[in-house]
Amino acid sequence: MASPEPKLPSELPVTQPRYVGKDTPRVEDPLLLTGRVEYGGDIRIPGMLHAAILRSPHPHARIKRIDTSRAEKLAGVAAVLTGEDVKKWSRPVFGVPEGWTGYALAVEKSHWAGEPVAVVAASDRYIAEDALELIEVDYEPLEPVVDAVRAAAGAGPFVLEGKESNLAFDRKFVFGDVEGAFAQADRVVREKFRWYRSSGNSIETCVCIAEWNPVNNMLTLRGSHRSPHLILPALVISLGIPSTQVRIIQSPLGGSFGVKTFARYVILLSLMAKKLGGRPVKWVEDRIEHLIGSSTHAWDRHYDCELALKKDGTIVGLKVKLIDDLGAFAEWLAIGMLLKPLLALGSCYHIPNVEYVCKGILTNKTPQGPLRAFGLPPHYWVLEQLIDMAAKELGLDRIEIRRRNFIKKESFPYVSPSGNIYDSGNYEGSLDLLLEKAGYPKLLREQEEARSKGRLVGLSVVSSIEPGLTGPPMLALASPKIFTRTASPEGVLVRMDAFGKMIAEVGFPPGGQSQHSFVRQILADYFGVTVEDVQVITVDSLTMQPGTGPISSSMAIALSGAILGAAARLADKLKRTAGVMLEASPDDVELMDGQLRVRGVPGKALPVPRVAGFMLMRPDLLPEGVDGNPEATYVWNPPDRTIPDERGFGRYSVTAAGAQHLCMVEVDRDTGLVKILKYVMVDDCGIRLNPSVVRGMLMGGLAHGVGAALLEEYVYDDKGQILTSTYMDYLMPTIMEVPAAEEHEMCTPSPIAPLGVKGVGEAALHTTPAAVLCAVNDALQPLGIRITEAPFSPLRIWKAIQGGQTA
Amino acid sequence: MATTRAIKLRVNGADYEGTAEARKTLVDFLREDLGLCGTNIGCEHGVCGACTILMNGETVRSCLMLAVQAEGAELMTVEGLAKATGELHPIQEAYREKHGLQCGFCTPGFLMTTYELLQKNPDATVDEMKEWLSGHLCRCTGYQDILESVKLAASRLRGE
Repeated sequence: MASPEPKLPSELPVTQPRYVGKDTPRVEDPLLLTGRVEYGGDIRIPGMLHAAILRSPHPHARIKRIDTSRAEKLAGVAAVLTGEDVKKWSRPVFGVPEGWTGYALAVEKSHWAGEPVAVVAASDRYIAEDALELIEVDYEPLEPVVDAVRAAAGAGPFVLEGKESNLAFDRKFVFGDVEGAFAQADRVVREKFRWYRSSGNSIETCVCIAEWNPVNNMLTLRGSHRSPHLILPALVISLGIPSTQVRIIQSPLGGSFGVKTFARYVILLSLMAKKLGGRPVKWVEDRIEHLIGSSTHAWDRHYDCELALKKDGTIVGLKVKLIDDLGAFAEWLAIGMLLKPLLALGSCYHIPNVEYVCKGILTNKTPQGPLRAFGLPPHYWVLEQLIDMAAKELGLDRIEIRRRNFIKKESFPYVSPSGNIYDSGNYEGSLDLLLEKAGYPKLLREQEEARSKGRLVGLSVVSSIEPGLTGPPMLALASPKIFTRTASPEGVLVRMDAFGKMIAEVGFPPGGQSQHSFVRQILADYFGVTVEDVQVITVDSLTMQPGTGPISSSMAIALSGAILGAAARLADKLKRTAGVMLEASPDDVELMDGQLRVRGVPGKALPVPRVAGFMLMRPDLLPEGVDGNPEATYVWNPPDRTIPDERGFGRYSVTAAGAQHLCMVEVDRDTGLVKILKYVMVDDCGIRLNPSVVRGMLMGGLAHGVGAALLEEYVYDDKGQILTSTYMDYLMPTIMEVPAAEEHEMCTPSPIAPLGVKGVGEAALHTTPAAVLCAVNDALQPLGIRITEAPFSPLRIWKAIQGGQTA
Repeated sequence: MATTRAIKLRVNGADYEGTAEARKTLVDFLREDLGLCGTNIGCEHGVCGACTILMNGETVRSCLMLAVQAEGAELMTVEGLAKATGELHPIQEAYREKHGLQCGFCTPGFLMTTYELLQKNPDATVDEMKEWLSGHLCRCTGYQDILESVKLAASRLRGE
C-alpha cells in the first residue's frame, strides 16, 4: 500500500528537506540563458512548408467570391486553403454552450476584422505572404454588431448565420435570501462599471507545425501547445479524426497566460496539412495577428452592481448583473470565465446572500479566449470599489469595513454561498502584517500632507483569494451533458535506472513557472538523491498519463500530488525488494534519508540506488508480485470534488490563497498619468516549494495587473474595426510602469493539498487591478470624481478631470 | 533584379561569407540561414526587444534591419555569451541566481542590452539600468528580478 500523502514538507522521508521549501536553482535556466532551448519557432523538419493567413478586413461581411488562382501559380506556393475545403473537411470549432461558433476559417461570411479567410502554404514565409496579396476576395460589408448591451436586449443584426439572437449564454444564480437581505439593509450602494478587453500577450506568439500523413492517417502537431487535453477534444470533434491518430508534441513555451491553447488555429493548420497530403506546414503567428486575430482577448464587461450593508458596515448582500462581450464566437472554454467568479463571489469577505446574473453576448469582435486568472480580476475590482464607496457613505474607515467582513480565521474550512470551500486562511493576520510592513499610519499622514498641497495622492487596501485548481465542474453549468465530471487529473511516471539516477515523465513542457524544477526538488528529497540526479522529460500526448497541465493555479497542488503518489508506489516496491536483500519483513523496512533500513536495527540499511539496481539485475530473487522495474505511475485528482447542482452550488476548487495589497498612487492632474508611489503585498499561498519562484510569479502577476489597470486595452471603433494592432497602440507595461513592490509572506498551510501548498500561478493579477484602480479613485476623491471604466488610461483620467464629474 | 546579395560578416567570432535574400530581415537570416535560433522574435516591429543583438558593439533590433545592412559588420548574439564549454557568462550567472527569467523567451534580448550597458558603463546607476531595460518587454517577471540580476552582474564584473 502506498503511504499517506505528506501534508507538510516535514513529513517527507527525510530528516531535513534539502530542496523543498528552499530557493533552488532552476533546471530550466541554463538552456534558456544560452539560447539553446528549442522553442516551437525553432523547429525545422525536412520538407517543411510555411503558412501565412489572409484575414478579413471587415468586421462583418459576406464573402461573395474568392479567387486563389493567381496565388496558386506563384512559384513556391504549394497550396491555398479556403472556406470550401474547411466546410468539406471539418465541423465548426467546438464551444460551450454548443452551437455558438463558426468554422476555423470564415466560410460564408466573416465575423470579425482579423478572421482568417484563406491560408497559403509556400516554401518560405516571405513567399507565402506574397501570395496573400494575390488572392482576390469580394466582400459585401454587412452591418456589424458592436454594442453588446444593445445586442443583449435582442436587437439585430446577428453575428451567426441562422441565429435569431446574439445571446449565447444567460444565467441567473441566486445564493441565500438576496431580496430579504436587501430589504433589511440600511444602505445600498450601486454603481455601473466597465472593464475593457485585454489579453495575455506572451512574448512568444503561437506556433503550430502540422503534419498529416495520408498513409497512416496520423496527425502530428508540434509547437507552442499547452494542455493537450484541451486541444485534443476540439480536434476530434471538428476534424472527426480518431483520438489515437493525433500526436501533440509540446515545445517549451515562451509564456502562455492562457494564450497557448489556440484550438481554432490548430484545427486550421491541420486542415492545411490535410490539403498538403503529408508535407509538414509551420505557422508562426506574428504579433499583429496575435493582437487582432487570436482567441486571446478576454473580459469585455459591463457591470451593474449593488452592495447592501448594515450601518456598522456589515455586508449583507451583493447583486451583480454582468454582460460580457464575447466577440464573434462562444468558443471553447470562454464561457468558463463568466462562471469562475461563482467560486469566490464574496472574495475574502463573508457575503451570505449573492445574486449573479451573467450574459455572454456575441459581437463582431475577436472571440474571447482563456486569460490568466480566468475572469476574476474585474469581479474583485468592482467588489472592492463598492466597499470603498460604502465605507465613504457610511463614514467608516476602509480598513475597519474590511476587517468587519473578513471571513474569520476560525471559520475555515469555509463554505462559500455557492458551496465552494476555502481550505484555510488568515485574512486579518495578513492585513495586520500588510499595514505594519507598509507603515500605514505614516502613509495616511503623507497623503494628507500631499493633498493639502493640492497633489492628487490616493491609497487603497484590497483583498482577494486565488482559487487553486479549478476545473471542469464549473463548465457543467454551461454544458451539463459534456462536463459531468469532477476530475482534474495530473499524472506522472517516475523511474530509477541501474545507475541510481531518476527519470520523471510529465505531460507538460517548461513554460516559465518552474514545475520541472520542483519535480526534481520533491523527488530528490523523497529518495535522498541530488536534484542533478533527476531528469525531467516532457512526453507527448499519446505517451503522457492523464494530465491537465499548468492551468488554473493548479500545478503546485496537482503535480505535487502526482509526484508524491508515484514516489510512494515506487518506495513500496523498493521496500519489498529491500526486505529480501536485508532478510527482513517488508513491513519492517522504511525509507529515510535515501536509505531503506530495518526499523530498530541500526546498520541494517541499503542505499536506494542499490536496491533499484538489484530490481533491475536480479529478477530471479525478487519477491512475489514485484517486477524487475523500479518504476511507478500515479494520477492525482482533487479530493471531495462535486458536480454543481442546478442552482450552481458546488465544490469547485481545492485551495484558496489569500492576498492583501496596499497601493499608493499619485495622479498628474495635467496629464492624467498615474505614478505608483508604493506597493506592498502579503500573499498566503501556504507552503512555498521554491520561494524565489513564488515571489517571481507574484511580481509578474503584479506587472500584468498594472497593465490591465492602467494601460492595456483593445480598442474598437464604432464600426467594429480594431484600432490596436501593434505594441505602439496596445501598451504593455515596461520596467518604468511596474513598481518595485515589497512582498511579505503569510503562511497558512493548506490542510487539503499535498505538502500544504496552495495554487499561486495566476497570482497578483487577481488583486493588483483592484488595488491600483481603487487607489486612483481615492486620489481623485478631492475633485469629486470616480472613474468606473478600466483601464484608467491617462486620457480617460484626464477627460474625467476636465469634466469634473464621474466619468 | 537580383533578389540575393553577396554578404560577408562575422558572428560570435566566426566569419560567414555567402548570400542573403535582399529582403530578408537580419533576425530571419540569423535564425534560418545561420541556424542561430537563440535570438527570438516577439513583435517584429521594434517594441518588445526580444530580438536584440549587438552589431559592432551596439545593440540593434534585428527584426528592424535587413540582413544585407549588416554587410561587413561584427555581430554578437546570445550564443556568443557563454563559453563553448558551456560555462555561463557572469551576466547569465547573475540572471540565474536572481531569478531574472521565467519562460526565457525575452531573456536573450535583455542579456544583450545588459552586456552593452555594462561594457560601456560598468558603474551604471539603478536609474540608468532601468532606462536601458525599458526598451524590453517581459511578461513573466515583473522586471524587479531582472533589475536585481543586472545589479549583481555589474558588481561581479567590477570584481566586487
